[in-house]
This record gives sequence, C-alpha cells and structure tokens, in this order.
Amino acid sequence: MQQFADSLLADGFLAGLPTPVGYVLVVAFFAFVLLNFIMLIAGVTSWLERRVWARIQSRVGPNRVGPQGVVQWLADGIKNILKEDIIPEAADKPLFKGAPYLAMIGFFGAWVCVPFGDGLIIADLNVGVLYITAVTGLVVVGILMAGWSSNNKWALLGGIRSAAQIVSYEIPAAIAINTVILLTGTLSMQGIIQAQGWAPWNWFLFDNPFTFVAFFLFFVALLAEGNRTPFDLPEAESELVAGAFTEYSGLRSLLFFLVEWGNLYIIGALCTTLFLGGWQVPAFTENAFLLGVAQVLTFFLKSYFLVFVTMWIRATLPRVRVDQLMSLCWKYLVPISFVNLLGAMLWVVAFPHGSIVMRVAMFLFGLAIVLYFFSRVASHLRRARPEMTWNPIS
Amino acid sequence: MGLGNYVRNIRETLGTIFEGMAITASHFVRKPYTIQYPDRMEIRVQDALPFRYRGLLDVDLEICTGCLACERACPIDCIVIDAEKDKTTKEMILKRFDIDLAKCMFCGLCSEPCPTGSIHHTPEFEGADFSLESLVRRYVKAPLVAYKPPKGPETDPDVAPILARGLRYLDEFASPGDPKARE
Amino acid sequence: MSTNAIDVDVLRETGAGLETEEMTLNMGPQHPSTHGVLRFVVKADGEVMRRAIPDIGYLHRSIEKIAEKVGYHGFMPYTDRVDYVSAMQCNQGWAMACEKLAGIEVPRRGEYCRVIACEFGRLASHLLSVGATGMDIGAVTPFTHAIREREYINDILEELCGARLTFNYMRIGGCAWDIPPGFVKRAFAYLDRFEPLIDEYNELISFNKIYVERLANVAPVSPQQAIAWNLVGPNLRGSGVRYDVRKDVPYSAYPEFEFDVPVGTGERGTLGDSYDRYMVRMREMKESCKILRQALAGLPAGPVVAKVARTFRPPAGHVYVRVEASRGDMGWFVVSDGTAFPARVHIRTGSFAAMAAIEEMSKGLMIADLVAVIATLDIVAPEVDR
Repeated sequence: MQQFADSLLADGFLAGLPTPVGYVLVVAFFAFVLLNFIMLIAGVTSWLERRVWARIQSRVGPNRVGPQGVVQWLADGIKNILKEDIIPEAADKPLFKGAPYLAMIGFFGAWVCVPFGDGLIIADLNVGVLYITAVTGLVVVGILMAGWSSNNKWALLGGIRSAAQIVSYEIPAAIAINTVILLTGTLSMQGIIQAQGWAPWNWFLFDNPFTFVAFFLFFVALLAEGNRTPFDLPEAESELVAGAFTEYSGLRSLLFFLVEWGNLYIIGALCTTLFLGGWQVPAFTENAFLLGVAQVLTFFLKSYFLVFVTMWIRATLPRVRVDQLMSLCWKYLVPISFVNLLGAMLWVVAFPHGSIVMRVAMFLFGLAIVLYFFSRVASHLRRARPEMTWNPIS
Repeated sequence: MGLGNYVRNIRETLGTIFEGMAITASHFVRKPYTIQYPDRMEIRVQDALPFRYRGLLDVDLEICTGCLACERACPIDCIVIDAEKDKTTKEMILKRFDIDLAKCMFCGLCSEPCPTGSIHHTPEFEGADFSLESLVRRYVKAPLVAYKPPKGPETDPDVAPILARGLRYLDEFASPGDPKARE
Repeated sequence: MSTNAIDVDVLRETGAGLETEEMTLNMGPQHPSTHGVLRFVVKADGEVMRRAIPDIGYLHRSIEKIAEKVGYHGFMPYTDRVDYVSAMQCNQGWAMACEKLAGIEVPRRGEYCRVIACEFGRLASHLLSVGATGMDIGAVTPFTHAIREREYINDILEELCGARLTFNYMRIGGCAWDIPPGFVKRAFAYLDRFEPLIDEYNELISFNKIYVERLANVAPVSPQQAIAWNLVGPNLRGSGVRYDVRKDVPYSAYPEFEFDVPVGTGERGTLGDSYDRYMVRMREMKESCKILRQALAGLPAGPVVAKVARTFRPPAGHVYVRVEASRGDMGWFVVSDGTAFPARVHIRTGSFAAMAAIEEMSKGLMIADLVAVIATLDIVAPEVDR
C-alpha cells in the first residue's frame, strides 16, 4: 500500500497534496474497502454456517430471504441495528460502550497483514505473523471489558474464562508458528508464501512430519483463540446464555458476532499462509491480471475451506470444561509443541533444503488419511441407508 | 498419569473425533428431513394426516341428538349446550351449542360417547386468530329440532352421508367386547 | 416466587491477606439448559460450586387437585400433562390405579397395545433425554438427530391415537383405539430403520472422548446413596442397582416378554457417575426395541377395552400402583370414597427426588458440571411440580 500511495502522490490522482494528507486519504480508502469486504465475509460466513449446520443436522437452514437465503445475514444485521439499545443500569457505561470497539480494533488490525495475492497486501511487515498474533490479543481486552462492565456475574465468568483461554493458547500457537519459521527464516507473510510452491508436496504442511503435527496443533490453538467449539466456553449457550455478551443488544452485540465470524477467516488465512501454500498457483499464463485473479481465488478458496472445516467441527464436537481446557493446553499442547519444535530443528539441521522424498511421502500419507476418511463415510452411509441426495442446496 | 495413559488419551481423542466427523460428513449427502410448511409442499398437511387425528372440533348439527353426552364427558367444561324437550311435540329443541376452542384440550373424550359421531375432531389445526372471542364456535344459529336416528337405515339423502361419516369416525374407537381383530 | 424466599448467607473467607467472597448466582427459571422451568441458587467459589439450592414450583398446575373435580374418566387427559415428554406411561399408571380400585381386568390385546404404546413412549422420552444431554454439553447435532427420530415415533403414535404429545390413549379398562391397519408393518419398518441409528448416535457422541471426559467421574452416586436418596429408574440403575418395576413388580403384559435390564458398571469412570446414567438410557432404548418387536409380532386377537360404566364409581378404599415410567418408578396413590370423584390423588415421580438429590450431589462440582448433572438425571419440570 505504501508504494501505491507514493505513486499516487508523485504523479497520480493525489499529486500536489502534502504527503501526510495523501497517506491519510489512501489509508482511509483502503480501510473502507477492507471494512466492507470483512463485513461481507463475516455476514456470508454466518449464512453459510447456518446452512452447513442445518445440512449436518438433517434440516435445511435459512433459504427464504433472497435466493437460497444468501441475504439472511443482511436482514439479521438490519434487525439488530434497529433494536433498542439497552444498557444495564449498574453497568460501567464507558467500558460497556467501548468494549465492542476495542474488540473490533483488535480484529481489524489483523487484516493489515493478510496476503490476498502476490503484492496484494496492505502492509507487508517483516514481522507479519508476529504482528497478527499480537494484535488479536486486543480482542481479549475487549471481551474482558465486556464481561466486567456488564455487572452480571455470568458475563464476568464468561469474560474471565475467555481471557484465560486465549492467553493460554497463544503459546502452542506461537510455537507452532516457530516450527514453520525455521524453514523460511522470515516472519513476513509474503516471504513465507514465497518459500512454498504451488504443488501440495511443496507446501509446508507436507514438508516433514513435524510441520504436519504443527499444523494440527496450530489449528486447534487457533480454534481456542477464536472461541470456537470445542472451546467455546466463553459463550457456552447452555450455561451462560451468551457468556460475556449476555447484556449486549443491538449494534454492539452485532459487532461482537462479526468479530467472531470474521476471526474464522483470519484463522483460515493464517493456516493457509503458513501451511497450505498461500496464493501460489502454477504459472499457467503470461497475463498478469489473470494470474493475479487466480492467486486471489486460490487463497480465498483455501482459507474458506478451513472456515468450512471450523463450522463442521463446531457442529460435531461438544465443548470441553474449563479445567479440561487448561489441562489440554498445558499438559498436552505445550509439551507436544516443544518436542515438535525440537524435532523440526533437528530436521532443518539434517536437511537444510528439505527432502523431496519426505515431502512426497508425507503427501501420500495425507492422501491416505483422506481416502480412509471417505471410506468411513461410505461405511456409515451403508449402515444407515438413508435417502441420499448430492444436491448441496436441496 | 503414565506415558501409556498419555498416549492412549491422545489416540482416543483423535480416533473418536475422526469417527464423529465421518458421521457428520456423511450427513452432507443425506436428504434433509425438513418439510417446508406451508408454501413449499406438494399436498396440504391436513390431507396427509390420519383419520383419527384430533384437530379442531366440529359439530354436524344435522345428526346431533341433543343427548348432552359430550357436555357431560368434557373434563374442562368447554361445551355448553341448551337443549330442552318441547312439551307438545316431545322433540328435543337445540337452542345453543357452543364450543370454546380456547379451552379445549383436544382429548377426544367428547367424541367417544356421541351416538352418531356428530361432534368429531377434524384434521384442521390452523385455528390461530387475533381475537379470543372468535375461538368460541357457536353452532346453533336458530333453534332447531334435534336429530332422531331412525330404526332402520337413514333414508334422507342429505343426512345419510353425514351420518355415514359420523359412524365411520365412531368406528375408529374401540368398543368393549368387540372380538373384531385387526391384524 | 420471591427472591427472598431463599435465605442465603454469604461465606466470607479471609486468608493469606486476600479476602474472597462466595458468589451467589441465580440459574433462573429462564435458562437455555434447565429442562423446563427450574431455578437454582448457586453459591460458587469461582467456578467451583459450594451449594446448588433448587427452587421448584414454577410449573405447578394443581393437577392432583384437579382430579378431585373432573372424576376418574375425565382425569385421563390430565395425566398426559404430568410428564408430557413420555405421556403414555402416565396414562397407564392412572388406568391401572382405577382398575385396581374397581377390580377390572384388561383384555389381553389391550395389555399388548398398552405395552406397545408405553415402549414407544419410552423410546421417544429417552431420545429427547440423550439429545438434550448432548446439547447441554455443547454438541448440537445429536440433539437434532434425536428429535428427528422422535418425530418418526410421534408420527407412528399419531396414527395410533390421533395426537403427538398428549395422547390420552388409554382408558380405564383398556385402550381407546385399536391398532389401525398397516400399523404393525410401519412399526416394524421403523424399528429396522432405528436400531442401526442408535449405533450411529453412539459413535457420534457417546464414545467421543471429549464427551466422555465431560461426563465420566462427574457426581458419582454409590448404590447405597442412590437408594437412600430415593432415586429411581435409569438414575438408580446407573448406580448399579438392578431394580426395574417391569421385572420386580411386574404388571400388564411385561412378564410375557424377554428383555434385559441394563445397569451401570462404571465403564469409563466411577460406578454411578453421569456417564453410567447416560449409557443406561442408550441401552434401554435397545431393550425397548426388543420388547416392541416381541409385542408387535405376538399381538393376540380380541377386544382392547373392557366394559366400564360411563360414571365410574369405584368402591371406597385406597390403592398404590407403580409403573416403570421413562424417568423411573412412578407411583400412583388414589383414595376413593365411593363417589364418582376421587378423594385424593398423589403422584410420586422420579424427577422430584432427583431434584432434591442435586443439592447433595453438586458439592464440589464446577458450574459446567451442574448442567451435566441435571441433564443426566433427566429431570423434567412438569414431573417435579405437577
């Protein structure tokens, strides 16, 4: 974005304006575009989640508002905005009002480093991954503020659970990131992607068994960061109504929910960047525009597939209890991730440029798992003998 | 917690989550069971319900004998009937037959003792309305003579089909000592 | 219900220079996971509960008093509402009590129809229970699958008696409707479809490690405690006590059928923990399928109802009858004074005792566990309050 702004100021659209003003204008423009994109993604994700859930639960889900219900999220959003704004009388008003915005800031700031394509990134910080991990920590502060200022003991419980959970799960996430950084030597998001290739066996996921394990550790840790089942105690519906967000209504609660759904995309984007090859596509054409489009599409589809997996997991698994959550983090994820990191270090020392044999072997192993999965699905269908349909929107 | 336990926990977790996700994945290709009532259906729901379905009550005044068996049987006092024997003609005159559907609990105890099946449940269930008064169904518009079932088959062509339906409805109820065995 | 009705004194602890206070939380009558309107006043130290005091009465409808007004025949629809999740067994309890008072014998086919109806009711109730347990623990899909199966059972029972929840199927002396044509075929087709789905349900959620960890070792109840606290049904059998009214105080046509009584064995934790109670319900569903197959195949010919006067006037006296409802041993105590209206009816339900036992069981549990305990004890508000 910096180069784009500079080029505009030099001899483009904004020539003649003082530099700071020009920068501010460009930043505001990109922020506006990005905000719209995020709102759209978060909204459509909420609709897709409801359809995916419904299909898993043998029902249909919203399919009336707009074709196949795609505009349902807009209807829900408008309804939420028009709702009465209720603030509990004994709530701490400045904190209550400010909490959703703090969560939004934390969440929004992470999008600065999301690489949509080659060169399509707002700011390619050379500490990109670290920056994202750090700035999403602001969401914790937002949730804690929400829980405390609601003057509601259940909300407070939800807020504290969330804080404990997110802070603890930063550690396995960071160590899993390190396992990948060992292979790239750079924290910049574009740099990590450029160190991978377009073919699956050139992804970091299949590079060596340690990064394979690191992917799952990272995914689980990010699920916990995003307050998603099986780690969604802070919003455990059946115990705490809505956890930290119980007292929120109208636009403020909408902001919290948008943060949650948008976070799913960040999870997908991070995992794609680090492990699934990012936007890499084979150079199938000379046309730069077409290539750019293909790259953006690849990145989007890969991230969205992981978002879909998150929704699928949420429909399948129950939630863990607080002490089990903590024990899972500190007794299982942290030691395993440390051992993993050691293993990865030894691997990098032994094979500084990786080993194509191991890559292909890991890829075949992954393929075998996927095939075994489909065979299990087929056996369940054989046993239940239900009425089947291949139409995803029936 | 020994190392064996530790490894077993991890293995069990991964294994059971894998199986669970296979089951939910298999649901992606199963047909949903939702019936999208009321506008995306092939037939009306009311036509698909069994004959015994206990929906809203209805009274066929053509075959009501004025015996007050339903009023006595109702546990919730939602049926109010005014019937008196005319001194001169010795006929039962029905002056009022009100059913308060807001009170009715659809138990079926009124239709069981009816001799002709005049009061019966219909497959209608869409009775919601904005005013409570509209739920009190008043069946008698003007005083009328109650029905007297003839000794032989019913000859009046208007009443015969109604009576046939009423008796078919009553036939669904089991009667004591009836050796008729249906499979 | 006033909030002053419960006197809670707050415990203040001062130790190591840090003053901590117990939190008093209200898990109020409106709550997504209490099964019906139940209220708990929870005194918690952070996440760990010290006491969970139940507050009942939100669904009290004076059903027992209403019996004294509507008479014996008219009370049958009200018995559906005593436990509307599994209404058939409540119908049977009342019918059996009146029959015992007046010495009426139910024809054999009527007894078979009653067994079929009750076992379908048991399936429906257990499906709802295990589905709701799954949903409280956080898994939303098993709930919808269970409700989908329950809808099928509702369709079958709708064919049988015309209603889906409040059946009013039985009468004093037998059943009100005979089996319609095609019913046995459809019931068998459903059972063939349903039994593999129990296994699928188990693999989806019952054996899931996270689920097992949530339920195992939570609120274990030893057999002696279970008997002392008056727990019945799957709660009692989950603690290892092999007591089932259908086998120990047999009634109706149950002596003619072969079935097992599943009992908890502490397979994944301690004997009598929440997981045992949950698995007993899953296994009981399979046993119910067994009974249903035998009953549907062996339906005798004949009438389904005995002749009973329209105004039922049993001789004076009192009777206590027990049936194995889905939630356990349901006792019906009826006092007759020779008139057409009972003098007193009392219904002893399994959920009432379980609700009282929660206060003892919940010491030292976490708040998340309280939800699991309520769910696995299968407490429904209409049974508690009547």
